Amino acid sequence: MSLPLLGEDELRRIAGNALRLARGDQAEATVSARSIELTRFANNAIHQNVASREAVLQIRVARGKRVATIRTSDVSEDGIARAARSASELAERVPENARFAGLPAAHPIPPSPSAFVDRTAAATPLDRARLAERICRASKERGFRTAGYVSTNTSELAIASSEGVWAYAPQTLAKAECVVMGDAGSAWADRTATDLGQVDVGSMAGEAVAKCAAAQAPRDMAPGVYEVVLETYAVSDIAQFLGGALSGQAVEEGRSFVGGKLGQKVTGDVTILDDAFDPRGMPRPFDFEGQPAQAVTLIENGTARAVVYDSQTAARTGNANTGHALPPNPFQTCAPMHVRLEPGPSSREELIKGVKRGVLVTRFHYTRWVHQLRTIVTGMTRDGTFAIEDGEIAHPVKNFRFTQSYHDALGGTLGIGRDLQLFGGGEFELGGSRLVPALHLAAFNFTGATQY
Amino acid sequence: MTFAAERDLASRAIDTARTRGAGYADARFVRRNVEDVFIKNGDLDTVDRSDTYGIGVRVIVDGAWGFAASHITSPAEIDRVAALAVQIAKASALTKSQDARLAETPPAKGTYSTPVQIDPWSLSFEDRVGELMAAESAMRSVKGLRTTRANYQIWREEKLFLSSEGADIEQTFTETGVGISAEAVGDGELQIRSHPAAGGRSQNAAGWEWVRRWDLAANAPKIAEQAVALLTAKKCPQDVRTTLVVGSAQLMLQVHESCGHPIELDRALGTEAAFAGTSFLTTDRLGSFRYGSELVNMRIDSTSPGGLGTFGWDDEGVAATEGFAVKDGIFVGYLMSRETAAALGTLSNGTMRADGWARLPLIRMTNVSLAPGTFGTLDELIADTDDGLFVETNRSWSIDDKRLNFQFGTQIGWEIKNGKLGDMVRNPTYTGLTPEFWGSCDAICDEREWVMWGTPNCGKGQPGQVMHTGHGAAPARFRNVRVGVGM
Repeated sequence: MSLPLLGEDELRRIAGNALRLARGDQAEATVSARSIELTRFANNAIHQNVASREAVLQIRVARGKRVATIRTSDVSEDGIARAARSASELAERVPENARFAGLPAAHPIPPSPSAFVDRTAAATPLDRARLAERICRASKERGFRTAGYVSTNTSELAIASSEGVWAYAPQTLAKAECVVMGDAGSAWADRTATDLGQVDVGSMAGEAVAKCAAAQAPRDMAPGVYEVVLETYAVSDIAQFLGGALSGQAVEEGRSFVGGKLGQKVTGDVTILDDAFDPRGMPRPFDFEGQPAQAVTLIENGTARAVVYDSQTAARTGNANTGHALPPNPFQTCAPMHVRLEPGPSSREELIKGVKRGVLVTRFHYTRWVHQLRTIVTGMTRDGTFAIEDGEIAHPVKNFRFTQSYHDALGGTLGIGRDLQLFGGGEFELGGSRLVPALHLAAFNFTGATQY
Repeated sequence: MTFAAERDLASRAIDTARTRGAGYADARFVRRNVEDVFIKNGDLDTVDRSDTYGIGVRVIVDGAWGFAASHITSPAEIDRVAALAVQIAKASALTKSQDARLAETPPAKGTYSTPVQIDPWSLSFEDRVGELMAAESAMRSVKGLRTTRANYQIWREEKLFLSSEGADIEQTFTETGVGISAEAVGDGELQIRSHPAAGGRSQNAAGWEWVRRWDLAANAPKIAEQAVALLTAKKCPQDVRTTLVVGSAQLMLQVHESCGHPIELDRALGTEAAFAGTSFLTTDRLGSFRYGSELVNMRIDSTSPGGLGTFGWDDEGVAATEGFAVKDGIFVGYLMSRETAAALGTLSNGTMRADGWARLPLIRMTNVSLAPGTFGTLDELIADTDDGLFVETNRSWSIDDKRLNFQFGTQIGWEIKNGKLGDMVRNPTYTGLTPEFWGSCDAICDEREWVMWGTPNCGKGQPGQVMHTGHGAAPARFRNVRVGVGM
């Protein structure tokens, strides 16, 4: 049983000690603690099953415009003191950063829905193994093989500073995913929620098994530009890439498709927001500088409205901070972390019905920027790609490579699904979540094919 | 060395696990210290020092696996972690179809330390930063840039590994990475050039000599000028087939993606199917499948000097090895763990590696390298090419989940006309299928052009792990390659 790892009082004590021992004009302490528990299966059996308890204290000390950061996993009294001393000493030695605007002042953190659910935190290895076993059994019963995982993670984040900042939030995250594979075709499904009780592995396995049955013996289909219906799994990728470009830093560095275009039409009639307070997502009312997160409309019915900022980018560019600082990293300092692409009126079946000749894509794989400014991305389709003919799924097709501008693709939005699905907490994500519907798009550029 | 107190605690963890029913147990203490420095547009943007320390315990109970880890290393916590690993393994048994079985390996005892010429931690902070700032400043002497960046990372990791079979290994790894880049923006274009390679920084199992090897300040103006020139350069030829000469820094990533990953035996056996994917190099193809032309030899070598996958023993206590993945164009070898090797009826070649103490060891690339050829230098290779394209330094990379269909973009390219480099081209891309691409290789430069590069950002596993892998490559030539896709 893994209830909150350390608790608000303990995180406040660690952060407070760090600030008390830091020597400088300003200081900030960020404490994160988490328990990662993940049961992984493949070939219809559990093969990796892990739990780890982790904590990190980060101290940032500023002496004028000299700034240094120390991170440590040692949150003992000695560890805190050592880190505070190291950060203070290093801040004396580093060259000045002329662009440093000082640590942000404290602002009230608004209330938000809780993202912490006891039964997720309390899940045991046996609980996860039983859920994994249900998925494996559903696959085995149809003669398929499945791989995936069930995880229950618990985390806490606290930020304090010499400027009076205090922000604390606990969070749980339950995830399950599976690929189901036959001899000649595969399918995918996943579920994410803060509440393990909301992760319906039965419906997930059923979805993947049924689609896997339909995906067997895919046919060749020539690459080209096709009308598409993208399942939520694929749309999540689009939201993630475009979200990364909807930041003040991306505009400043000349790599955002909305740079110089606020107020102009940049996509079709889609609306994309960042809303840290949406209870259907993974709400957290503050960013990684302890600043209150604002709900921001990024694209409204296709018109670029705003981008998001952290304190430094906002100060540097003369804009207001929107409370979207990411965990410290030099490449991307701010980004929308709670993206929602607003739903439309259509069911998935209605979206498919609207296609005369096109392709249904379940998900994308290994997507990468080709040209960030134009939002050109390349990647593969994977785990369930089908031809659509006369509004019906006609037959499975072999996977495509695509090379496509994502915002141009949204320019041809013909239909939007009514059901939102939550994504987030994935491998190698800096943080954040996405709530997205399925989409029907007029044109998508498939530039190559593969052999399966 | 450095783990006097931890040896008793590791033994305690193994004893606790055995007492609770583990047939096999190992314990790993890891201490990692890293310093990252980033300079952007002339300012010291970030100085970040981090240390992380903890223990991971891996067990087999009744033929099923469990793993638990903690950043707390008190005796009571060690007992909890070991007991939790056993509890997890018992839960794993719920779906067990067969018992986990490990290939034999002699229980090793010993130490290893990365050889370095200039210990990066022994230099003063001011000296390290000063060299980087000089290089970054040299880029900004060129007009027309939007963003300049420079960064280094120095890395030290110490590990203690004990197993219930009697292994007792201490290792210390040192790495140094560096990179500079210049970005220019204009007229709907964003162009980047970096040195010595792409990906933020190029890293080696080496000391500060790795930074000085690349003469950053001297190369800075050149890449800055190229970034600006790319804004108005000729477009890459669109969707045509041509002869492609691929530079060493780009080809090393091609090796990583199209050879290194598909030779991971866990992928071939399906245990990475949900996330990373599987492999077109299935076990029935071992020893007979034509992967590339007869010129193509791919080495698996965890003993290569400078390689980020060079060590004394892997994280299962298997000694470093060298061998072939592809010999004379034929696929002949996998990267293996003790468990997957047993499934093939052979011994592990020692490629299990974990990202720190909190993660389970997985099959990872060590150093997977294209062996140097016999053609000569890059200049000689270009002189031998009538018509084609020379591309260098990665900008974009993508490959399917069986590692067949790939598409790469590079930062820069030049036309080759009558044996000479011609016009610079912007946004070059090329695409193909792995065996066809390597099958079209008709020339590989020799060891004078061969560099052991490093990829310090290879992602795999759930929970996610980032691994540092080594890849040697020399420039090579490929015929009839499709270039200029989708731009």
